[in-house]
Amino acid sequence: MHRYCQAVAAATFLLIIAGGLVTSTGSGLAVPDWPLSYGQFFPPMIGGIRFEHTHRVIAGTVGILTLILSIWLFRREQRGWVKRLGLAALAAVVVQAVLGGITVLYFLPDIVSVTHACLAQTFFGLTVAIALVTSKGWREDLPYEFDRDPSSLRQILIATDVFLYLQLILGAVVRHTEGLGIAFHIVVALLVLLHVLITLQTASRITGEKKILRPALSLGLLVTIQFFLGLGAFIVKIVLKNTGAVPYPATVFFATAHQATGALVLATALLLTMRVFRRLASRNCGAPVAVPSES
Amino acid sequence: MKTMLALGVAFALIFTAGLPAADAATLAGKVAFEGTAPVAEKMAMDADPTCQMLHPDGAVADDVIVNSNGTLKNVFVYVKEGVTGTFPAPTDAVQFDQHGCQYTPKVFGIQVNQPLEIINSDNTLHNVHALPQNSKEFNLGMPIQGMKLKKTFTSPEVMVKIKCEVHPWMSAYAGVLEHPFYGVTNEEGAFEIKNLPPGNYVVETWHEKYGAQTQNVTIAGADEAKELAFSYKG
Repeated sequence: MHRYCQAVAAATFLLIIAGGLVTSTGSGLAVPDWPLSYGQFFPPMIGGIRFEHTHRVIAGTVGILTLILSIWLFRREQRGWVKRLGLAALAAVVVQAVLGGITVLYFLPDIVSVTHACLAQTFFGLTVAIALVTSKGWREDLPYEFDRDPSSLRQILIATDVFLYLQLILGAVVRHTEGLGIAFHIVVALLVLLHVLITLQTASRITGEKKILRPALSLGLLVTIQFFLGLGAFIVKIVLKNTGAVPYPATVFFATAHQATGALVLATALLLTMRVFRRLASRNCGAPVAVPSES
Repeated sequence: MKTMLALGVAFALIFTAGLPAADAATLAGKVAFEGTAPVAEKMAMDADPTCQMLHPDGAVADDVIVNSNGTLKNVFVYVKEGVTGTFPAPTDAVQFDQHGCQYTPKVFGIQVNQPLEIINSDNTLHNVHALPQNSKEFNLGMPIQGMKLKKTFTSPEVMVKIKCEVHPWMSAYAGVLEHPFYGVTNEEGAFEIKNLPPGNYVVETWHEKYGAQTQNVTIAGADEAKELAFSYKG
């Protein structure tokens, strides 16, 4: 099941890239009807339809994969909260599909588009969380020694997740409103970068555990890349807008890569937080927690 | 008897349309272009092989068309202020075609509630996305060659942008007015507005790239032919 969950998370990441391409290429209304495309399952793949319809096909696939996942979890998983995670993922994907339909039928209203963008990344986080908690490592729950009291890391990680999610909302607003709040988004980006570096430093100070340090390092690296991708997107989409100095593919690349890397940042932060909390819980218990084995 | 009947009908039509034919003047003129005409940007149509085949030598952007006589095409000219009375919408539709993966006409006028007949003459899929601020927005798929649809704009607005979401180079503009006093410059840069009653008016020109200009005009008497000249700098 863990491998299947990983596949669902990977497909969701692909879906986020496809959705990003729809926005970056301005193809959101290339197909005016929904759920069919020009009344068909497969319209001619021309112009913006290529992006919008591909997005719909991947979304449909992820929807089916999520349905299977939730049924699978519901029938085979013994942990109630993991079952509920599966149901939450199913609910999220259904709501996400409806939001996608509304945004097409009502000509991309900002609030719906922003919500659609945020829910996409929330759903991705959910699939990553499900993949994590169904993993062997999570279930075996090996306890280990912290060098220092990890409560400060736990607190700082909660703050990291909150900051990253707020920054995600700001980014979605900037993206779907032609730059509204861009200055605030940039300032918060600097603060988030600084905060993540502090998180990384705190993690390395508290533990030498690889399962904590690896995602912490990945988070630091991803946030740094994300910062420069955001800078690139800002330059090509706002500073150099209408100058003709930027090739169209570069504009699409920076905007889409910035959005997709944002999803990876959020997922990595979530994974790190869950691991730290899991390990902390084990330490407090003093012994591995008995987890029902997976069929 | 037939002549009398025809005259009666004609009189009734003119009366109901609010056009004082006996005192009507004609506004005509040209819109000049000063400076060097901008080099038209090449349009990449490779996103749709059908469109590419329709333009084997490539197509260029149609946002600025400077005529050979130094005038500007596709300038919307209309009476912005001074018109009184009501002017029922004509029942004849304004035809708006998607032909050669371009909109024809590129700029046009239409009265409030006058039918707009949208045609797809191309052997490819188009959609028509109108973005009015004052009327209801629509985004219509037209996947079949020869397909026709009718829409109306319910409130005046200068200008309403229309674009194809499949082919990003396709765009057009509609001037939606409550009266029929408008025109669009042609290949000679000329426009004509007929049947304008005596009065004081503000006439405005609008161009997609170069914006708006206004002039005050007074129509003093019947059958007056007024000449106007506008000029845009490149």
